[in-house]
Amino acid sequence: MKEFEYLKPDSIKETISILSQFGEKAQILNGGTDLIVDMRDKIIQPEYLVDIKAIPQLNRITYNKQDGLNIGATVTLNEISNSKVVQTNYPILVKACKTVGSYQVRNRATLVGNICNASPAADTAPPLLVLEAKVNIIGPTGEKIVPINQFFTGVKKNILKKGEIVTSITIPPIKDKWTGVYLKQGRKKEVDLATVGVAVVCIRDEVRIALGAVAPVPVRAFKTEELLKGKTIDESLLEKAGKSALTEISPISDVRSSQEYREEIIKVLVRRAILQAKGGHIL
Amino acid sequence: MKHKIRFTINGEVKEMEVQPNKTLLKMLREDLDLIGAKEGCGAGECGACTVLVDNEPVNSCLMLAVEADGKEILTIEGLSDDINLDSIQESFLKHNAIQCGYCTPGMVMSAKALLNRNPHPTEEDVKEALAGNLCRCTGYQRIINAVLDVAKKGGKK
Repeated sequence: MKEFEYLKPDSIKETISILSQFGEKAQILNGGTDLIVDMRDKIIQPEYLVDIKAIPQLNRITYNKQDGLNIGATVTLNEISNSKVVQTNYPILVKACKTVGSYQVRNRATLVGNICNASPAADTAPPLLVLEAKVNIIGPTGEKIVPINQFFTGVKKNILKKGEIVTSITIPPIKDKWTGVYLKQGRKKEVDLATVGVAVVCIRDEVRIALGAVAPVPVRAFKTEELLKGKTIDESLLEKAGKSALTEISPISDVRSSQEYREEIIKVLVRRAILQAKGGHIL
Repeated sequence: MKHKIRFTINGEVKEMEVQPNKTLLKMLREDLDLIGAKEGCGAGECGACTVLVDNEPVNSCLMLAVEADGKEILTIEGLSDDINLDSIQESFLKHNAIQCGYCTPGMVMSAKALLNRNPHPTEEDVKEALAGNLCRCTGYQRIINAVLDVAKKGGKK
């Protein structure tokens, strides 16, 4: 690992000032589970590493019925999985957090880090997309709130500009009763990246669908959602939904799977996720 | 520039100056001569480098030594009191849950953390807790049996 200078600011203001000053030469260190591997492999070689874990307001989970759930940037995946409010109100998020890496990795890795790293296969992205999460960003020009489906701009790329930092993610409250599932297909049950990930949330007659690892960014399947809206779910509609989902993705072949396999499995998982979310049987 | 850090290692408070680009694993092995934790993959996939930081298992290859400032670290060397082994170590011996031994310190530390947070784990709980620890020789059943056996005896030998 190349030498660098380690900085540990204790405020957001100081962090922004450091990031603004050093620009591309600086890199935020959060859980480090992606970054330290990339630094070891010399893919990323920052001159300044800015550890944000000493900033107290970034390490909070808050929840209330009016504002929904807010998860700070340095909250780890295990802290989310162990949080009673998340378990009670957003079980789909707990499920997704638990599928990331190993228990050890989840003790360091964070939700915000998973999102900022912007891997197409990020397990927490599909659930955040169907929950219509908001990304809270602060930078030199002030604060802004970006819908999660506008946050990803390409493989491992996000909309953050020089000096900006994601402070938290907000999941807005859902007034009606809803159900949600996240299904992940990997090469093995534990400790693997997603070959395909599918999240579905059902609210009244609305079905929201998000797909991971099948396009340059995790995507909402809006066309397929439109197809399902207000309809009674039956066998032929499920088949149509699977085929429709195929038209909204652009999977590639890589070390984890062929393009053809991804296309096949996305149909299966979309169908299974809708059925599970609707409380039906797994066919 | 070196950073001065202060932390507790196996019950002993230590102050050190470390280079920021040194991982916790390298500091343990090279500067403190604690060579129980191993580097397998160096990428958080094999778990051979697992140590406890503030009672929670982490991959010490994915953590910088400077990040250990103010933390309490427990390695495999801190489990025994020089005369008696920890009950988990005894159980691994009893169940022949070791072959080459390379993964064992990581396995034991993950098991230690599991039993700290959940003294009565199910087999599924054990599998989840050890999923980040790879073993390439024994297979996993004896390891799982060893951990379940300690839990059954309430941590006693």
